[in-house]
Amino acid sequence: MKTFNQLPYYLILASLVLGGAAKTAQAKPLSYVGGTMVMQENDETGHTLSIDYTFDPHFALGLYSKYEINQKEFWMVGPEINTLIKRWNLPDGQGNIFSMTGVGTARQGGNTQLAAWAYFLADYETRRWFFSYEPRFTYAGNIEKSFWQRGYAGFAPYLANYDQLNTWFLIRLDHHPAKNEHFVVTPVIRFFYKTIWLEAGYSSNNHVMVNWTVQF
Amino acid sequence: MRRILLVLFIVATVSTAAFAETITTTVNGMVCAFCATGIEKTFRKQPEVATVHVDLPKKVVTITTKPGKTLSDAKIKEVVTYSGYTMGTITRMK
Repeated sequence: MKTFNQLPYYLILASLVLGGAAKTAQAKPLSYVGGTMVMQENDETGHTLSIDYTFDPHFALGLYSKYEINQKEFWMVGPEINTLIKRWNLPDGQGNIFSMTGVGTARQGGNTQLAAWAYFLADYETRRWFFSYEPRFTYAGNIEKSFWQRGYAGFAPYLANYDQLNTWFLIRLDHHPAKNEHFVVTPVIRFFYKTIWLEAGYSSNNHVMVNWTVQF
Repeated sequence: MRRILLVLFIVATVSTAAFAETITTTVNGMVCAFCATGIEKTFRKQPEVATVHVDLPKKVVTITTKPGKTLSDAKIKEVVTYSGYTMGTITRMK
């Protein structure tokens, strides 16, 4: 039987096999080939900054950094690779499965540990509806070992064209089995215009959420 | 008579070559503006392409080529697939 202390090596192996590093978000973790994406998140779990370059229709490479504030504070940074595992292109919708995994370091005060993370994102959207589910696994030695999951469901109140402002209303549900508050609900309003994407909300545990993504 | 036919042939060839082509293709999976950017930018990188227009409600991309240039169906399919989508029906107008 594998002990929990051996977990980082299995996560590293999983990272190499699946591609990937951490990320967040409901902006998809890949853009177009040759595109660079900068993503920043501020929510009840912490502050995240990632920069990714899509070099293949199925892969993006980048750098991920997160300052975690959910009960314990620590900083995690490392290279990431995001993988489009499967896509369904339908006449009126699109479904995707992505992995986002990485290996780096975590630091808490003077304590530095090897860190590895593997996140998965499954989404389905039409012009009117959006649904996603995202389980996240994080290992950072004696600093953090966690699994948590996130889901979004929402709709567009009007159907905007390509060169118009798109607006979405969503509900985000986070489940943190190891934290004091197992469930956190955040009503979210999301805007995007061409390559600029912004969402904001206020969580049930009284945190302001502001996330943005820019592609160029 | 031969000369007249030859002149007509040359004129027809030159005038055809000088016209731009307007190509429309439906794209499966293109459901959001954020996603359509990839298709627009990838088409714009093609040397034959003059303009690209995305109609999101109809899920249609309209490409106008430079005068005398064209894009084959295979090339259009390659660009759409490379952008992460699935090509639908292609329509051409000179």
